[in-house]
Amino acid sequence: MTYAYLFKYIIIGDTGVGKSCLLLQFTDKRFQPVHDLTIGVEFGARMVNIDGKQIKLQIWDTAGQESFRSITRSYYRGAAGALLVYDITRRETFNHLTSWLEDARQHSSSNMVIMLIGNKSDLESRRDVKREEGEAFAREHGLIFMETSAKTACNVEEAFINTAKEIYRKIQQGLFDVHNEANGIKIGPQQCISTSVGPSASQRSSRDMGSDSGCC
Amino acid sequence: QIQKLCDRVASSTLLDDRRNAVRALKSLSKKYRLEVGIQAMEHLIHVLQTDRSDSEIIGYALDTLYNIISNDEEEEVEENSTRQSEDLGSQFTEIFIKQQENVTLLLSLLEEFDFHVRWPGVKLLTSLLKQLGPQVQQIILVSPMGVSRLMDLLADSREVIRNDGVLLLQALTRSNGAIQKIVAFENAFERLLDIITEEGNSDGGIVVEDCLILLQNLLKNNNSNQNFFKEGSYIQRMKPWFEVGDENSGWSAQKVTNLHLMLQLVRVLVSPNNPPGATSSCQKAMFQCGLLQQLCTILMATGVPADILTETINTVSEVIRGCQVNQDYFASVNAPSNPPRPAIVVLLMSMVNERQPFVLRCAVLYCFQCFLYKNQKGQGEIVSTLLPSTIDATGNSVSAGQLLCGGLFSTDSLSNWCAAVALAHALQENATQKEQLLRVQLATSIGNPPVSLLQQCTNILSQGDKIDRRGSKIQTRVGLLMLLCTWLSSCPIAVTHFLHNSANVPFLTGQIAENLGEEEQLVQGLCALLLGISIYFNDNSLESYMKEKLKQLIEKRIGKENFIEKLGFISKHELYSRASQKPQPNFPSPEYMIFDHEFTKLVKELEGVITKAIYKSSEEDKQEEEVKKTLEQHDSIVTHYKNMIREQDLQLEELKQQISTLKCQNEQLQTAVTQQVSQIQQHKDQYNLLKVQLGKDNQHQGSYSDGAQMNGIQPEEIGRLREEIEELKSNQELLQSQLAEKDALIENLKSSQPSPGTNEQSSATASARDSEQIEELKQELATLKSQLNSQSSEITKLQTEKQELLEKTEAFAKSVPIPGESETVIATKTTDVEGRLSALLQETKELKNEIKALSEERTAIKEQLDSSNSTIAILQNEKNKLEVDITDSKKEQDDLLVLLADQDQKIFSLKNKLKELGHPVEEEDELESGDQDDEDDEDEDDSKEQGHI
Repeated sequence: MTYAYLFKYIIIGDTGVGKSCLLLQFTDKRFQPVHDLTIGVEFGARMVNIDGKQIKLQIWDTAGQESFRSITRSYYRGAAGALLVYDITRRETFNHLTSWLEDARQHSSSNMVIMLIGNKSDLESRRDVKREEGEAFAREHGLIFMETSAKTACNVEEAFINTAKEIYRKIQQGLFDVHNEANGIKIGPQQCISTSVGPSASQRSSRDMGSDSGCC
Repeated sequence: QIQKLCDRVASSTLLDDRRNAVRALKSLSKKYRLEVGIQAMEHLIHVLQTDRSDSEIIGYALDTLYNIISNDEEEEVEENSTRQSEDLGSQFTEIFIKQQENVTLLLSLLEEFDFHVRWPGVKLLTSLLKQLGPQVQQIILVSPMGVSRLMDLLADSREVIRNDGVLLLQALTRSNGAIQKIVAFENAFERLLDIITEEGNSDGGIVVEDCLILLQNLLKNNNSNQNFFKEGSYIQRMKPWFEVGDENSGWSAQKVTNLHLMLQLVRVLVSPNNPPGATSSCQKAMFQCGLLQQLCTILMATGVPADILTETINTVSEVIRGCQVNQDYFASVNAPSNPPRPAIVVLLMSMVNERQPFVLRCAVLYCFQCFLYKNQKGQGEIVSTLLPSTIDATGNSVSAGQLLCGGLFSTDSLSNWCAAVALAHALQENATQKEQLLRVQLATSIGNPPVSLLQQCTNILSQGDKIDRRGSKIQTRVGLLMLLCTWLSSCPIAVTHFLHNSANVPFLTGQIAENLGEEEQLVQGLCALLLGISIYFNDNSLESYMKEKLKQLIEKRIGKENFIEKLGFISKHELYSRASQKPQPNFPSPEYMIFDHEFTKLVKELEGVITKAIYKSSEEDKQEEEVKKTLEQHDSIVTHYKNMIREQDLQLEELKQQISTLKCQNEQLQTAVTQQVSQIQQHKDQYNLLKVQLGKDNQHQGSYSDGAQMNGIQPEEIGRLREEIEELKSNQELLQSQLAEKDALIENLKSSQPSPGTNEQSSATASARDSEQIEELKQELATLKSQLNSQSSEITKLQTEKQELLEKTEAFAKSVPIPGESETVIATKTTDVEGRLSALLQETKELKNEIKALSEERTAIKEQLDSSNSTIAILQNEKNKLEVDITDSKKEQDDLLVLLADQDQKIFSLKNKLKELGHPVEEEDELESGDQDDEDDEDEDDSKEQGHI
């Protein structure tokens, strides 16, 4: 399976907010009501299509428990996108966002795209955090915001894809150095040859780059 | 002296002085490891903290610490003190890591690019990890970016550091899942595969080996990393590893080691112990990228070292195990022999060949087992090679079945065992093949009638002792018993066949009942199992060996307790649990080859149920039979209900659809209703308004009720007047009728008057009389007329009077309306409204009709559009065809052009030749510059010329 780009994501947030369920819903399109506690970090992957380009998403789902914080910190640096998740039925998970965000900002590259996610939107009757509060927090910290339900799959697809779109936009603006894999971005194998053209080429579409290298 | 140096390191203010002292310590550290370690460690760490700016002194300090902590060098010097030095190393490591900052410090020093710092730093950290792995791993794990920094070592352009970096990562990732995942996240797979490729894959040196070991560390038992490896399309990058070619030029020890590790890495990804989904997706990927095909090439190549060949067979086994596509491919692989033989046959030949290495034979068995695992198609193919119908067809070449039978009855016990187990795998969970195999007949010796395969197996079992065999006799018998147990389980027909031979049951009971030595215990157990199977799967079709009779036999001859005890021998055997752990037949030596993995599963399954079956009384048995029957009945009922449910499900679905359409209709109707309701509401409102007015009027009536009584005379008057009018009217009528009589009379007379022409005389007098009469009558008429006039004037007068009175009454009535009258007014109004409503409804109906007409028009237009679309498609097709034609003709043209060019070339050369020969050629030169027509001519000329030559 070839792809134009590969993006690395991490999913972070308090324990029990539904990080693993979001990933499972995204990669396997199913929901597991009872999920084991994530130990350390688990991996998942899926292909998405943005602007007619195949983009491979490699996602590292981290453990939310405090005891794993030091391990999960190792994943910030190499990720291009992060899904920061809280549970709309538990206010404390919303209150901890600041600390998660600090952690992420401190250890990641400055360009990392962060998507704030209020999960469990299906449990409207038990809602503890208003939608507006999430929106306000996102606005204040420059994040994208969405409410999702890993159970009903509502907005799950969109959350992952919109994050990818934002990264893609940043690449086209030249904000990401796509040649440095430490940023969590990799150019697909068929594009490999053309990457030697030069960093400016990254702003053009891969097709153009292909023809460029052909001329040279 | 060491103390002095330490003091200098600690107290000297001059960097040079300190540096010299550390260098001196370094030189002493190997010889006086203990002393330097005890006295100088603290000072050296201090140097690392304070003298970071001077890479030289840091380098010496790191070297010294490495010498103290590492055991590597020591081992070479004096081997007898290795243990002591190990203790020393770990003790010093413990001291060093007691302060976690020391490790963090070391990690930060590794960021220093200077070779003198980085290299010893890497070595020191590696030996720390080797000494006390888990503790150091934990410290690195919690220090921010610790692992990531170490990953950067792989990108170092200096090979020494990169290679030692690989070793460091090896030690770092050893049995620590969390670190393994971080290292993988940091693109380790990409880096390591790049290094392996750069170094020439299997032809590379020890660096390749180190990288492969590191890869194995990262992948083994780490599902998350395996998934990442697969998703990252790294499996595809393994394929070139196995492109070893046929040159056989060199199989260096390093190459063998590398290939071994590469094969093991493949096996890590498709290990039967991995989650089933993970393994199968890797298997698919390996087929799709051609890795399996590459491995099969090695399998069939010549000159491959035996241990590589063995490991390749094992690897192929696990790549195809339980994966239908890969199994099918494997069945199609042929050996490059003449005539080509299937790879399976070639491999089986090795399995039953006693001169082949034991491990190779085990590998082939494993491969065969994996080929048949969950592969009903493959099982069928193998068994069919033994069946009478196909045996003749393939008479000249050896078949898998023949090889297995040969192995089963050879004099080599190992072959017996392998063949028996292999054949058992062809029957595993496959009732059809169990029955098919019963048909197999063997020609034992010329003149004797053929014997069934089943019969032959039991014959060997009972007479086994007579034949002289290589190897352990137990192996043969165990193998055959395992085959029989597999064959008979869940197959009542096979049980019947088995019991049909009257020698079998006495043989089994004899074996079980005998009090034999420990060696025979296992065979006794297996015999008990076989007998148990013959009871449990017995369908009572043989009178003499019904369930009940066999049980009685056990009780009489063996005793239930004894039987169960013997049965238990199997699972209590020391090799049993070993075999049950994993599917690969992996035995340290031939004597350990006793149990097959799949067979242990069967034993687990049957031990309990057979024990139960034996202990059950006949009554219980009967009860169970009944229960079974009722169960079957229930089953049939259940299936009946299931079908019903299915049908109802369908119906339900249909009804649901109906409901949805009805709902739609309902909605539409409801909207119509609401519209109408609102209209009605409006009407009601109007009605209410009128009602309210009415109410007001009623109040008025109440207040004028006295007046009504006062004017009570009025109606009487009216009545009287009416009567008068009536009288007058009748009078008038009377008069009118008289008048009409008179008129008629006149008419009569008139008609008689014109006739006088015929009887003038008589009539002249009559006419005179008549005229008198007429005069009289006229007078009378005039009086009557005047009377009438006066009367009519009287009437008009009366009528006006009446009118006045009516007006009066009406005026009065207006002020005092009678309730009945007003109600009728409202009623008329409502009828009026209703009339309007109906008019509106009429209107809507008309509009609907219009809409209908319009939609009909629309559909007609649509149809037109469709038809035009289809014509467009047709035209496009034609266009495409034409385009193809054009391209074809273009091609032709191109070809012609090429031809022309060729011809030109020829002409040119010919001209040259002609020139050489002295012919004048100028004319043709001119022709050449002409247009195309000329060129065609020229071609002709050219061909003529060629003809001449």
